[in-house]
Amino acid sequence: MGTFIQQLINGLTVGGIFALIALGYTMVYGVMRLINFAHGDLCILGAFIGLTTLTSAAGGGHPGAGLLLLAFVVSVIVIAVAGVALERIAYRPLRKADRLAAVVSALGASMMIENGIMLVWGPQVHVFPSNLLPATTWHLAGATISFVQVMIILASLVLMIALYLFVNHTRFGTAIRAAAIDQDAARLMGINVNRVIASVFIIGPALGAIGGLFIGIYYREAYFTMGWTYGLYAFIAAILGGIGNIPGAMLGGVLLGLFNAFAAGYVSSSWQDAITFGLLIVILLVRPTGLLGERVAEKV
Amino acid sequence: MKKHQECSKIVLAVCATLGMALAPSAYAASGPIKIGVQAPITGTYADEGQGIERAVKLLAAMQNAKGGLLGRKIEIKVCDDQGQAAQAAICARQLVNDHVVAVIGSYTSGAALAAEPIYARANVIQTSDGTSNELLKRGYKTWFGNAAPNSAEAKFTAHYLVDVRHFKKIAVLTDHSSFATGLAGAVVRDIKADHGNVVDKSFINAGSQNFSPVLTKLKSMHPDVLYFSGYYSDGGLIRAQMVQLGMKAAFVGGDANQNVAFAKIAGSAAAGSIIVNVPAPADLPYPVAKQFVATYKAKYGALPPSVFTLTNADGMRAVMQAIAATKSVKPAKLEAYLHSMKSFQGLTGTFAWSAKGERTGSPFVAFAVQKDGSYKIRYPAPKND
Repeated sequence: MGTFIQQLINGLTVGGIFALIALGYTMVYGVMRLINFAHGDLCILGAFIGLTTLTSAAGGGHPGAGLLLLAFVVSVIVIAVAGVALERIAYRPLRKADRLAAVVSALGASMMIENGIMLVWGPQVHVFPSNLLPATTWHLAGATISFVQVMIILASLVLMIALYLFVNHTRFGTAIRAAAIDQDAARLMGINVNRVIASVFIIGPALGAIGGLFIGIYYREAYFTMGWTYGLYAFIAAILGGIGNIPGAMLGGVLLGLFNAFAAGYVSSSWQDAITFGLLIVILLVRPTGLLGERVAEKV
Repeated sequence: MKKHQECSKIVLAVCATLGMALAPSAYAASGPIKIGVQAPITGTYADEGQGIERAVKLLAAMQNAKGGLLGRKIEIKVCDDQGQAAQAAICARQLVNDHVVAVIGSYTSGAALAAEPIYARANVIQTSDGTSNELLKRGYKTWFGNAAPNSAEAKFTAHYLVDVRHFKKIAVLTDHSSFATGLAGAVVRDIKADHGNVVDKSFINAGSQNFSPVLTKLKSMHPDVLYFSGYYSDGGLIRAQMVQLGMKAAFVGGDANQNVAFAKIAGSAAAGSIIVNVPAPADLPYPVAKQFVATYKAKYGALPPSVFTLTNADGMRAVMQAIAATKSVKPAKLEAYLHSMKSFQGLTGTFAWSAKGERTGSPFVAFAVQKDGSYKIRYPAPKND
């Protein structure tokens, strides 16, 4: 029982992170029908920016919890700006072009950010300062849960609920949904589609930066190739939940984290990815648009 | 006329060289005792090759300052094999023609292998850090490998886990790289050979960071130690997540875990982790080694480039000891002496040679990671002789 609960906690923690990153994929896809392959790298760039803020603000001393908040703020702002810049430079000129051109541009941007991180910060593993957060752990039914895990699970949940309310219960959220259904019709209705697109390139990367910083704080290390790994997992989470669907990305992320934990824990860690992605194939065979996906007719 | 004179001069010179070459000056009772160094003085491994040359020359100079061996000076002949097989064969012939008693080198297995049959036929002792199994296949009695064979790390690790620490339930974790799976497989085999109990062998995906699921599974098996054969960036994280999950098991890591980043990543969980590796020259615990490394540094202004400088120096020291003990430079006597040594106190630990010329006695040690991230040797216990 203790082992089961422990795996549940393990799965929920990484699942929350996957979900935060998956939201960026799904929102951009929803509005632009584009897979932003540079998203994972933006998230990890967020982790690096956060780390640099922490260490430079601490000025050689030991960074405390107040600085951690500052790191989150700086990282979110920088990555949101980077997200908008990415859209302006790499995607807007190609909006009328063949869809493949934008995908290639996205892959190029991904490599550029990844190698940019390497050139600025170097190829070695960067380590986050220890004791940023209380080392408190709680024990329940033979399982342990740490302060960081509670924080990640709760913060992911709060952010996801906030995003859901924003998209479904505000005027701007309605504009986003309208642009996602039909950009031309939305424009005719007086919606500034460019602003909508810019907004998803702010919200997605901002959530991703928080996810990236969570990775850094949870595992206490960051290196430049991490963006690809996490980007791939989050992309799959978005597909699993139904790409373009916001609650779908949340569900997909959490499920992927849980699949991963239970496959490693109860079957074999060497088969972990094979089982996870095998399940993904089965789900997509049964529901080709993902668990909460839109109906295909609407997409075309 | 002039031309003719020149020709005869050349003939004379050739005759003189041949005559000298034919005379068995190496075994003669007078003149210096010649010892060869075959090493990559230039090329990719120049750093290592020059380290070997410097160490051997330093040992010879130290011995000569004490009056040499058997009342004769030691003379070092160096040949640069550039780490390449073709050049190694040329070097071997040249050193044989120079009538060396023994050759230290080469650094690469490939260069040592190309030279090996030439030394064997000429009955010249060869001691090298080469560890390729090919070097042992032909059973040359002139071959003395001075570095531990590839299987030594696994043997040492199994011995440490089972016989030294008496762990009863050993869990083994590895990534999918050929290096780490090979090491983990050998460790499991050697633990079983030592009658140890391996409760589980699991894999991680290197770089995936999320090791809690597999560690949670291992925790439910209640191992008293977790051995990890992969790299430091994963090892540090595994150690941190073990502690976070409340695992009581000790952590023992393979040589790829030795990196300053290990302790940083593991954070407060790092202290007490054990890492198995050959110590770097500056960390060797043996007094002879400390003294030699200090002398080397004083003379050349730098530390030896790697531990292989010192294993080759051990080859040189063993040859010198053999000459002094047998009061002879006859190859058969020296070979018999080297093969019969029970334990030789080397700079890189105590060792001996098997009948095949393979080094027995491991240079590996178990380090404990300290709170400040430095290392302290836990086993074998540092001796004060």
